[in-house]
Amino acid sequence: MIRKSKVLVAGTAALALLLSAAACGGNDDTDGSTSTSKAEFNAAMTKVFNPSDKKGGTIKLANSGDWDTVDPGETYYGYSWNFLRLYGRGLLMFKPTPGAEGNKVTPDLAEGLGVPSDGGKTWTYKLRKGVKFEDGTEVKAADVKYAVLRSIDKETFPNGPAYFEGFLNLPANYKGPYKSKGVNTDSAITTPDDSTIVFHLKSAFGGFDYLAALPQTVPVPEAKDTGAKYKEHVVSSGPYMFDQNNLGKNFSLKRNPNWDQATDPNRKALPDGYEVSLNVNADDIDNRLLSGDLDLDVVGTGVQPAALGRVVGDPALKAQTDNPVLARLWYTSINPTVAPLDNIECRKAVEFAADKTGYQTAYGGPLAGGDIATTILPPMIPGYEKFDLYPAGADNTGDVDKAKAALAACGQPNGFETNMGYRAERPKEKATAESLQQSLARVGIKLTLKPFPQGDYFSQYAGNPPYVKANKLGLVTNGWGADWNDGFGFLSQIVDSRVIRETGGSSNTSVRIPQVDQMLDAAVAETDTAKRDAQWGPIDKRVMEEAVILPGVYAKSLMIRPKRLSNVFVSEAYSMYDYLSLGVA
Amino acid sequence: MITYIIRRLFAAVVLLFIVSAATFAIFYLVPRLVGSTPETLATRYVGRAATPETVNLIAHRLGFYDPVWVQYGRWIKGIFVGANYDYGAGVERCPAPCFGYSFVTRQPVWPDLLDRLPVTLSLAIGASVLWLGFGLSTGVVSALRRGSLLDRAAMGFSLAGVSLPIFFTGMIGLLVFSYKLGWTAPGGTYTPFTEDPGQWAYALLLPWAVLALQFSAQYARLTRAGMLDTMGEDYIRTARAKGLRERDVNIKHGLRAALTPILTIFGLDFGLLLGGAVLTEQVFSLPGLGKYAVDAINTNDLPKVLGVTLMAAFFVVIANLIVDLLYAVVDPRVRVG
Amino acid sequence: MVVGPGTQVPIAADPAEGAKAIEGRSLGRIAWTRLKRDRVAMGGGCVVIFLILVAVFAPVIVDLFGSPPNEFHQKLIDTSTLAPYGGTGISGDHLFGVEPQNGRDIFSRVVYGARISLLIAFLATLVSVVIGSTLGVIAGYFGGWVDALISRAMDVFLAFPLLVFSIALAGVIPDSAFGLSGDSLRIALLIFIIGFFSWPYIGRIVRGQTLSLREREFVDAARSLGARSPYIIFKEMLPNLVGPILVYATLLIPTNILFEAALSFLGVGIRPPTASWGGMLADAAKFYTIWHFMFFPGIAIFITVLSFNLFGDGLRDALDPKGKR
Repeated sequence: MIRKSKVLVAGTAALALLLSAAACGGNDDTDGSTSTSKAEFNAAMTKVFNPSDKKGGTIKLANSGDWDTVDPGETYYGYSWNFLRLYGRGLLMFKPTPGAEGNKVTPDLAEGLGVPSDGGKTWTYKLRKGVKFEDGTEVKAADVKYAVLRSIDKETFPNGPAYFEGFLNLPANYKGPYKSKGVNTDSAITTPDDSTIVFHLKSAFGGFDYLAALPQTVPVPEAKDTGAKYKEHVVSSGPYMFDQNNLGKNFSLKRNPNWDQATDPNRKALPDGYEVSLNVNADDIDNRLLSGDLDLDVVGTGVQPAALGRVVGDPALKAQTDNPVLARLWYTSINPTVAPLDNIECRKAVEFAADKTGYQTAYGGPLAGGDIATTILPPMIPGYEKFDLYPAGADNTGDVDKAKAALAACGQPNGFETNMGYRAERPKEKATAESLQQSLARVGIKLTLKPFPQGDYFSQYAGNPPYVKANKLGLVTNGWGADWNDGFGFLSQIVDSRVIRETGGSSNTSVRIPQVDQMLDAAVAETDTAKRDAQWGPIDKRVMEEAVILPGVYAKSLMIRPKRLSNVFVSEAYSMYDYLSLGVA
Repeated sequence: MITYIIRRLFAAVVLLFIVSAATFAIFYLVPRLVGSTPETLATRYVGRAATPETVNLIAHRLGFYDPVWVQYGRWIKGIFVGANYDYGAGVERCPAPCFGYSFVTRQPVWPDLLDRLPVTLSLAIGASVLWLGFGLSTGVVSALRRGSLLDRAAMGFSLAGVSLPIFFTGMIGLLVFSYKLGWTAPGGTYTPFTEDPGQWAYALLLPWAVLALQFSAQYARLTRAGMLDTMGEDYIRTARAKGLRERDVNIKHGLRAALTPILTIFGLDFGLLLGGAVLTEQVFSLPGLGKYAVDAINTNDLPKVLGVTLMAAFFVVIANLIVDLLYAVVDPRVRVG
Repeated sequence: MVVGPGTQVPIAADPAEGAKAIEGRSLGRIAWTRLKRDRVAMGGGCVVIFLILVAVFAPVIVDLFGSPPNEFHQKLIDTSTLAPYGGTGISGDHLFGVEPQNGRDIFSRVVYGARISLLIAFLATLVSVVIGSTLGVIAGYFGGWVDALISRAMDVFLAFPLLVFSIALAGVIPDSAFGLSGDSLRIALLIFIIGFFSWPYIGRIVRGQTLSLREREFVDAARSLGARSPYIIFKEMLPNLVGPILVYATLLIPTNILFEAALSFLGVGIRPPTASWGGMLADAAKFYTIWHFMFFPGIAIFITVLSFNLFGDGLRDALDPKGKR
């Protein structure tokens, strides 16, 4: 699957086609190829549903929790990155297009993609002219540099992505512009003129364009920056700006008078505004989506169990849903630091004995949960290879005979006892743990379940190696979604042994294979996309051979398609509806 | 009278201090007893990528290394003069009354509490009107028609009412009246009274009814018992003998005497309810103080829980104080005692 | 005032007859006679005994009529909707149907839930009875500053926003502490929290009773004969306190059952997969459109609490006919 080909023309062509189809009233069902208006299951998966150019109206969204933060320097949720493009323009962005094209980056604030030099160690971007902040001042390269640098301060923005500080050639002990005031950072980022920004890396990184598409490159005017308080008033550079913002309750966006369509090929800015309610009851969101009183569940993780039965059981309602696959794997780590799982045969016994159907049901079944996984990479990640080292039998409920054989080879023919950790606040992980407890008991592996608080799960419990060892946490539930859909974005944080910290905090709890570390280094240094992508599959396989990860499901979500809106389609980059193109029909 | 009021006020303040100290101790002492260190407490306030040095720094900045009583003193001081929190990126001002500062949402707790209070207040007031009306009238009728079918039915019903957990009646109510019949609002909807009184009442109807069911059962039993007690007293007989009309005897003398203990219990109940109708708010997903506390527990946001607990204690103490003072007005004997 | 049979106001029907019958019999026997005549209370008592038997013999019952409480039956589940096939899954094998998603037998979980519920409620009541009667007797007997101190302490406890406070306390305790872990820790913790916060209810009653007993002749007599305080407390007063303590303990049990269910419902009580009624209701709340999942654990709580209340009320009336009613 070579999706990330460099043939940019194809993408532009598709976009042009999409625009023209919309402009010429592509409501025609027979047109079929790029748009549709027929309400059926998965209608908005690869086509634009209900295309229209009509302006006006307000889109209503709700979030069952709090927004992590609307500050572009810290936000770390896919839905937030998707939504943020309404009020902020980063250097690059994911293309607002249905289908595989949506996984590609396209210039936004920048005029073109990054120009690498020095073998991939230096990346240069040219900014568009005439882009303005909401107060009318022009966006300069220095604003982008400042935005990137401030996001490095992890005391102010503890939960933000940490890629830039990892790759940029920053001065030693640089702590961001608040604490390291006046420190010269030209070794990392230079701005030769107001419309040029150059990034200098420590080592070559072929995929830097993905970093340039992070919201951390959305410009922030230094004069208006209030540090951690900036989220109370983010200064817009996109078509919409904050109107009201009541933290923890709701906020609304209105049109930004200083946004100029001429500077922006990606956005149509159809509605007049957006209203977002926070901390709304999740079941209530589903009910209101079905009645059309609400347009979108902004988090985009799909319906609750209560609504699932209703939606799936009623063909009319099911036609009003889409069921995308997410670039997310739900899995269980098998910790080789805990005896007897230090023996690979005992780990294999776990792989064979696990009831994969039970795992799937724990996450909500084939529609709301996902597809049964046999690899670490989900199929949508370029470089994915299909293989199954531990077949779970005809009905996917586990292979008890092979598990028993593995146990015998491990010297534990009657099974053994170990503990399993999960996040107490997550009913699906609880269900997973209970399911594994059941299926492993068939071969004599007795699990004691240990719920841990979500907030400290990785720092103190499941991701803390001394704790894991001392408390014999043989298995821990885990989940991982890519920051962007690429092998590096998916694998680096969960299979590289060097991200494991003895003090805790790493998502990787069980993979310590020196050979895998070397394979990762080789892949990262490769600048040719196709060649790089070809290396992820073998890494996946090598990790699976060690039986330190029990893949559960490739996540899917069952989403209720907004009734009232136009231009609805699923963005492959975010695996949810694209929030940039929507209009009120 | 003045000295009595002053004495009660003083007692109330002392009570509040003790409650707050005990609450504080739970959050800062109990975790230590079970093995938490200042560092593990501090990890809650830093991000996932924190180094041990950062954790140490934050633990120092937040004063987790100080003795608990010093931390408590600082917290109390914050209520009166406000406090500053240094979480790394600059100093955060938490103005008085500073009930703590959440490091999860980076907001002072007090405005949150003020924000949630109207929801809980709406819930408590509406429900108490319902249960007082329903409970008292049922109790009076039962007492007057003692032993009748009506009495037995009412008492059976109220015994059932006190035996039903509110989260069960709430769930059944949602299933039947909201989901199946569509008469009442689904859970999770709340519109402030100031925005739309109609929607406000619509959303709260089922929670009110469920709360009232439980409480009116208790109040019916209490009223009935109180009425029966007083109806046997000499002065009631005297009143009857004087030739007062039966209705006047029942209402003026019987009910009034029965009301005094009910007033006490009502004060306590109402205060407790204001402090967070935890279960009701949880079942109906109402964004009140109780749900705020539960959500805070789930996110390990201790300053918020501490804030709610103290506020809840405050309402109980105030409600008791008001009841005490009302007594003193109604019944002069109390002042001496 | 004639009270018909079967009402729940079981005051001795004819005071004169009652007085004659009492002659020469112990207080306990009189109470028992009265209690036996109260059919509603006896009904409640029978249900209580039945529930205790269910809890004790849970493994046997489940063996006969159910399947292990944590065993999955996912073949009975429609995986695309997570609901059991046929809506509830009620059948000869699963008397109360199965849970959505994992298909656990609801009957078995309700039966095992009775164990948790009753165990915690009884032991928590024991804790409050021990603390409450001890402090109540001390306060009532010694009076003065001791009484003032204990009474103030009771005021403080009663002013606590109990539920918020308990969820906070139960929430900050990690998975293993005080040398315990898992279910045993949670059970011990719940017993402690519930018992510790309920003692003032017993304490107030006992203090009041002690105060009035202190002034009675037989206590005076003992004191003038030179009896020391411990003797008076244990030999003279305690036997007279057993009745009220028993009544209020019986009435405290249903409150404690509701308390435990509430904590488990809020997710700070018994941890999954161990079955508890409150925890089952919390699970059922996520599937609020599936009626049988919430119905059976909810009804179990209702029946248990109701029968304890009926029995407790009857007991109070039997021991103290002139009581509140």
